[in-house]
Amino acid sequence: MGSEEENAVKEPLDLIRLSLDERIYVKLRHDRELRGRLHAYDQHLNMILGDVEEIVTTVEIDDETYEEIVRTTRRTVPFLFVRGDGVILVSPPLRTA
Amino acid sequence: MSGTGEKLSGTKTPADFLKSIRGRPVVVKLNSGVDYRGVTLCFGVSSWLCACYPSSILACLDGYMNIAMEQTEEYVNGQLKNKYGDAFIRGNNVLYISTSKGTLAEGA
Repeated sequence: MGSEEENAVKEPLDLIRLSLDERIYVKLRHDRELRGRLHAYDQHLNMILGDVEEIVTTVEIDDETYEEIVRTTRRTVPFLFVRGDGVILVSPPLRTA
Repeated sequence: MSGTGEKLSGTKTPADFLKSIRGRPVVVKLNSGVDYRGVTLCFGVSSWLCACYPSSILACLDGYMNIAMEQTEEYVNGQLKNKYGDAFIRGNNVLYISTSKGTLAEGA
């Protein structure tokens, strides 16, 4: 297990490095989420994602019933550059390791 | 002196606090008000350094307050919304990092 330290996570960005070429989940500002394959990233969390699904969540409040209507809008994008300043959270898919 | 009069686990500066939270359950609150609870550990690199844990435990912290955690739960308005096996949170969103009463990784 000693040699694993070379590949071990030394700083938080390493957690992302381990996810290169894997599908990841990204939570963005403005109630957006992405699921796609991570091709590249940098220290700003700019990312290149492939085969991406974007989910935009909106909540409408009905004027009369005050009911919250949660809507999600999805779209797929084959190749996407994500600007890092919009990123909140990155999570790898369930790891078995 | 009683326990409360002493330094909490040798905490003196913010850097020491960050070193001291390894292995502890923490609450990370974001500017947006969302809460994340998970277990964090620190690995050595540049300013935030501690011992290396060779097992599968991941989490750590860096100078930008980027934080990586394991077993992370997302709370919105106090309600559990999501669970992530691992999560990396971009530091600019972090309002605070707080320890919650949990198992202490180290003794006195």
